[in-house]
Amino acid sequence: MRSDRIFCDLPTSALQSFEAIKYATAYPKGAVLFVEGQAPRGIFVLCKGRVKLSICATDGKTLILKIAEPGEVLGLSATVSGKPYELTAETIDPCQINFVKREDFLRFLKDNSDACFKVAEQLSEKYNNACHEVRSLGLSHSASEKLAKLLLEWSSKNGEAAKQEPRLKLALTHEEIAQMIGTSRETVTRLFADLKKRQIVQSKGSTLVIRNKMALKALATDN
Amino acid sequence: MESAIQQSCRDYALCPDRIFCDLPINVLEALDSVKATIVCPRNTVLFREGQPARGVFVLCEGRAKLSVCSESGKRLTLHVAIPGEVLGLSAALSGGPYEVTAELLDDARVAMVKRKELLSFLREHREACLHVVDLLSQDLHIAYERVRSVGLGRTRRSRVPEA
Repeated sequence: MRSDRIFCDLPTSALQSFEAIKYATAYPKGAVLFVEGQAPRGIFVLCKGRVKLSICATDGKTLILKIAEPGEVLGLSATVSGKPYELTAETIDPCQINFVKREDFLRFLKDNSDACFKVAEQLSEKYNNACHEVRSLGLSHSASEKLAKLLLEWSSKNGEAAKQEPRLKLALTHEEIAQMIGTSRETVTRLFADLKKRQIVQSKGSTLVIRNKMALKALATDN
Repeated sequence: MESAIQQSCRDYALCPDRIFCDLPINVLEALDSVKATIVCPRNTVLFREGQPARGVFVLCEGRAKLSVCSESGKRLTLHVAIPGEVLGLSAALSGGPYEVTAELLDDARVAMVKRKELLSFLREHREACLHVVDLLSQDLHIAYERVRSVGLGRTRRSRVPEA
């Protein structure tokens, strides 16, 4: 199963063209692929591992937008538009990545309309996620509401959505979760303690079990 | 109240400066055959967040407010679109629901292209496909800027414009 999934079901000729322009590289955990504000050099197709995507204020405050998973193309909109990278991308696992230089990628898109469609699909998904973030960050009243929304979102993945007590792997620290919802580490720690005390969630090692989905949903809608 | 006006993109004087209008003549003619230009008054809602995407709306004249809404009905403006912008593009391409609500701030002239026809048009005209990718990138850039402003602003006072 190919890991650079976005391009993996293209016609053979397009795949061959892509193979010719990509550079496969391994990165350790903690490597910075690109920094917000840099001129775009190209795209990074995440084949294996996960990458943290964040933005930063001038005072150093950081907001984590998303944890990218294999199959995602990083730096896509900047590479296409020529505008600076909007986000900083840092690996949180050892990663395998295919890098494609900007000029090669634009030429590839011009010559392969199927690839263009795939890119359009992924950009649409990113736009959808960004709108979701705006809604979540801008319209949620409290950190409690934002955390509840985040936990519900995470618990809906990997086939857990239909379960009475979905489970999720907490791969981020409280500090990183705080950076995702725009609050402090201390607030996240306090909120988790409160959720556990109320038996809405339960910790089992690094796994979090949602014991009371209804209560968590009520928190997510500020009811 | 809408009124239908058939207007060719090729003939529209301001088009060459507009973002979706500077395509080759043959492509513009193909676009003419799939679009319907309408005039809408101020406050018309072109589409609502959550509705299945019917197509895209090219803003030829006038401005539109793009906003998102919470469950409690509170609204947050994402962006004010200006003439030349294509609204609903992301949803129309992905087949998902519209991510935002688009409401006209002025009396406007809008060209609508239905989703099915948009997809056929793009498959037949490669140069437009790359154009669309560029448009989506710019939409995403705007969205990220909004994320930055709401996510990294101060938490104790309003940092978003009134809806």
